[in-house]
Amino acid sequence: MAAELKFAKTHEWIRPEADGLATVGISAYAVEALTDLVFMQLPAVGKRVKAGESFGEIESVKAVSDLYAPVSGEVVAVNSTLPGQLDLLGKDPYDAGWIMKIRPDDPAEMAGLLDQAAYDAVVKNSAH
Amino acid sequence: MAADEALGAEAERTGLPLIRFYGWSRPTVSLGAFQKLADAQAIPDIASAALVRRPSGGGAIVHGSDLTYALAVPKQHPLGQTAQQLYTAAHTAMAAVLQASGIEARLYAAEPMDAEFFCFSRRAGGDLVVAGAGDGPTAIDPKIMGSAQRRLAGAVVQHGSLLLRTNPGVGSVARHPGLEDLVPALRPPAARMLADSWLALLGPALGGSFGWESGRFVAANERDIAARIAGYADSRWLARR
Repeated sequence: MAAELKFAKTHEWIRPEADGLATVGISAYAVEALTDLVFMQLPAVGKRVKAGESFGEIESVKAVSDLYAPVSGEVVAVNSTLPGQLDLLGKDPYDAGWIMKIRPDDPAEMAGLLDQAAYDAVVKNSAH
Repeated sequence: MAADEALGAEAERTGLPLIRFYGWSRPTVSLGAFQKLADAQAIPDIASAALVRRPSGGGAIVHGSDLTYALAVPKQHPLGQTAQQLYTAAHTAMAAVLQASGIEARLYAAEPMDAEFFCFSRRAGGDLVVAGAGDGPTAIDPKIMGSAQRRLAGAVVQHGSLLLRTNPGVGSVARHPGLEDLVPALRPPAARMLADSWLALLGPALGGSFGWESGRFVAANERDIAARIAGYADSRWLARR
């Protein structure tokens, strides 16, 4: 399941879909590190997001974290059930916990992201 | 808030933890990043106070009689990885400072209470409370220090407040007892002394030591801070929710 995912160092994942869109979420590690999520602000459909820039925010009991776009593109859908069911992010971060679907400006931009093994190494180093 | 954000950028650039303390020219309520402005406007007891919104999370704080800090730590720092680690480090160091003055400061470890509007009415694991100082035998321990973070791509900015005394500039609903109210006989140390003692312990906890550079950061980063002020000064920031 996770083999097709690409990751940003800031812990977002992206998965290219057959229709040319790409689905974006945050990793299980990120959800675990945030703990006790209380609020989430999704981007608006139609919004343009830029690689490395904030597209949304998520609040836990002690912290607000920015969510960063892994690639540039246009938001075409958001998971509107998430703000009311933040536990989905922890229970199923790579499927039911998806955050948004974007139309990438340049699908090749995804090649510059981390694959699962490289991301696992980032997480492993973070834990030390 | 703009200077604190710039502090985060500086911590990311230099790879060093940085901290700044600041005061308030008038009683001011800072809202957490996602608190509703309408909720603040519906409380008559804070109607006379200025209102600002922090980029960090947590509940509303009445400033003016507290020690306010912003601590910026690079994300790659060992204590920058998760929210709880930095929170606990900051509060553990202050607990030790207060304990040395005979104040029964402890980290809160019971059930969280996070639905209240005011930070000092909430309780989360790691909040600093004064044991046994509540009003009555069944009262919960009063909270004396709370913090909350904004986790940016390359740095964490942790805002926090140590309540020195009750703020007389707001009504009773918004008043929380400070150190001087809870332990008047002990005459808690002055704010600067508290800050010095705290940094002496917090520095080693972060793997180094802090030195004072009075006003230098803001002066040296005036243009960057001015550019960031625009976003916070925009009324849409305060009214974002």
